[in-house]
Amino acid sequence: MIHIDDWFDAIVVCMGPVRSLIKVKKQRTTLTLPSDSLNKAKNIARARGVNLSTAISEALAEGLRLHAATERSEEVLALYRKAFSGFTDDEMSLLDGIVLEPATRR
Amino acid sequence: MVDPASGPFLFDTSAESWLARTEQSEFLNWMRAYVSLHPIHVSAVTVLERIRGYSLLWRRSQGERREMIELARVAYLAALGVVWPLDGAVAVVAGEIMALLPDPPTAPKRSHHLAESRQDRLARWRFDGMIAATALVARMPLIHNNAADFEPVRSAIERSPARFPRLGPLELMRCASLA
Repeated sequence: MIHIDDWFDAIVVCMGPVRSLIKVKKQRTTLTLPSDSLNKAKNIARARGVNLSTAISEALAEGLRLHAATERSEEVLALYRKAFSGFTDDEMSLLDGIVLEPATRR
Repeated sequence: MVDPASGPFLFDTSAESWLARTEQSEFLNWMRAYVSLHPIHVSAVTVLERIRGYSLLWRRSQGERREMIELARVAYLAALGVVWPLDGAVAVVAGEIMALLPDPPTAPKRSHHLAESRQDRLARWRFDGMIAATALVARMPLIHNNAADFEPVRSAIERSPARFPRLGPLELMRCASLA
């Protein structure tokens, strides 16, 4: 469980494969984190030579990015399903650019 | 198996709808993974073919059916990712493809009492050439469900590399080979 007492207002900018945080504005907050996660974050911070706030901020930004991507993914798939459902095979041919018409009309 | 992370890819008209309608979990999961990483890239020609299809269906329908078709059309437009234009570079490459392969490689389609006219088959063949040209210019693999049309294009480009300087080969991926 992560309890967030307050939220921080930051703009996350992804630049190429290496994502960096450009903090336009920082805000102090109090978080209650599972000890296990906190220890892992401390280890990552130590290994990378950054402070704990940076390590957690980056992990949170990546998590938020993934969450947004997943939401968009589900939204796009739902729209596609709606766009192509309820059509017969002949109608789908038409939607795929194959104009089939009764032979007598030609 | 194609790694979705190796995208982005250009989706042919046939591939876009095939993948959207599939009920096979492995392809659904592939699409889910792909869309979480990349937008779906299509040619403006695909949008043209699709919207013409919705419009023809709408004109042949009435009442509630028309409303359903219009909702489907709006959903399609809302789902659109990156649409590659038919610009000068694509036109140059498409012109080369059309000159190399002026005639469709297969006969017009038939279905029960319905048939595709020769003119419509030729138009569809030319549209496929434009989509292949878009993939070449965009330097993206083309995902398709229409090997009968795209494999001859790929072979022709390989036989005439001088007409496609610094482009190609046309990299094709069949829908069925994705997952």
